[in-house]
Amino acid sequence: MAELQKDPMTRGDFLGFGILGTIVGAILTIPPAAFVLGPLINSDVRGQSDIPSGPDDWFEVTSISEVPESEPKVFTVDFPVEQVYGKPEIQEESGTSKQEFTVPSAIWLSWEHEINADGTYGQSLRPSFLDDRSDGFSESEIEEIQNSLNVLSSSCAHLGCPVRWLVREGEGEFLCPCHGGIYNINGEYVAGPPPRDMYSYDFEVREDGTVYARHEFDTGGANGPQEPFVI
Amino acid sequence: MIGRLRSQAFETGKFLTDWMEHRTGIVTMTEHFLYEPVPKRGAWLYTLGSATLFCISLQFLTGILLLFYYVPTTDHAWNSIYYIMNDAYFGTLIRGIHYWSANFLLVVIGLHMSQVFFSGGYKAPRELNWVVGVALLLLVIVLAFTGYLLRWDQDGFWASVVGMKIGSYSPFVGGPTIRFLMGGDVIGPSTLSRFFALHVWLLPAALAPLIGIHLYLLRKHGVFGSEFEYSDRLAKLHERERLESYEQYDEDEGEPFTGRRDREDRE
Repeated sequence: MAELQKDPMTRGDFLGFGILGTIVGAILTIPPAAFVLGPLINSDVRGQSDIPSGPDDWFEVTSISEVPESEPKVFTVDFPVEQVYGKPEIQEESGTSKQEFTVPSAIWLSWEHEINADGTYGQSLRPSFLDDRSDGFSESEIEEIQNSLNVLSSSCAHLGCPVRWLVREGEGEFLCPCHGGIYNINGEYVAGPPPRDMYSYDFEVREDGTVYARHEFDTGGANGPQEPFVI
Repeated sequence: MIGRLRSQAFETGKFLTDWMEHRTGIVTMTEHFLYEPVPKRGAWLYTLGSATLFCISLQFLTGILLLFYYVPTTDHAWNSIYYIMNDAYFGTLIRGIHYWSANFLLVVIGLHMSQVFFSGGYKAPRELNWVVGVALLLLVIVLAFTGYLLRWDQDGFWASVVGMKIGSYSPFVGGPTIRFLMGGDVIGPSTLSRFFALHVWLLPAALAPLIGIHLYLLRKHGVFGSEFEYSDRLAKLHERERLESYEQYDEDEGEPFTGRRDREDRE
């Protein structure tokens, strides 16, 4: 066996090396580790999100009158992504670029439908007063609209590909192009690999009939909570 | 005149080579690296490792060139590649080589790996070289994955989304790893910067020394048999070269005896 240590180590030496090693090791590893793990510290320890999602951070999606009665329609919302050089303070400080960094998110809006036992769609639950008016709603009307509106993230709950609406033999369904996940018009799981229903956004409808969404999702579902890596 | 020049040049060359050899041992090393007797049967199969090395070298060279124009920010990444592909001189060629040689690299690695597997080249004492090879394969796969996002087009973006989401399902480590890669909780500017850092610095820097170890271990054990067999073969090769040069000497200068008698004795 190779002889690495000629003199036997005393207990004092051992303790000394241990303490010195810990201090030097910490000085050498903590700064670079914290440097690259910054985002993990921010999101996991301090609970920050890169997309403003506080109680007041609502982003306009569309007007309620734009949502068709019996099929979904897709809208794009540019949620600002406040990461690294995209942070608003930094943009303001530099003054050279006022660009907001966004990754467009597609949101599907549809009216809730009754689902028959054989999977076909029954009646649309769209409130009938929408035929006459598109703004000036009372609180109870807003409540009714919110209860019958689906605000779905286009990211498939399986692996995050964008789903699309496919009409076949008169009946439509959400189909994921990557692995064939299928959801019905309410975003409920029908077939394929997804473990749960489509993610739906936190949203609110205001008096003037505008739909606002927040970058928050329901993380529950049939298979329990999952981390929403909805992009 | 010409003859004198030639012999002078030869002398100078010999002096320089000897000088380098004496100080660095580079001639012996080069000899050791270049001369490897291989069996005639299936000789093309033994070039797969070199083919892999060739593709990786291409990746390094064209990658360095692409860095002169590529900008890793969300608002300019796509534009900078568009510039490379449409305006830069030979941009299509340089990026095309980077793209296609990356594709071929994975294919060639697969062939190389199966050749080693089916010929039993992973057996003792070469197990560690197999292990290093697997590490290299994994690094190349992560390089391919991180390179895909840098294009910042629909293709690369959604492929990365799917890839990261697959990773996020791993128990315990999945979530933190993906958040580390994304640099937050959504794909954005930070994700692009991180993939860029991994793709052009961290992974190549890890890849290069591992390639060195891979080659060192290959040369240490040889492809065919032990070090002893190798030097044995090399000695035979040198002997043959010596005899050939003797014959040459014989023809050039017309001095009769040594070579010929030597050879006859031998036979």
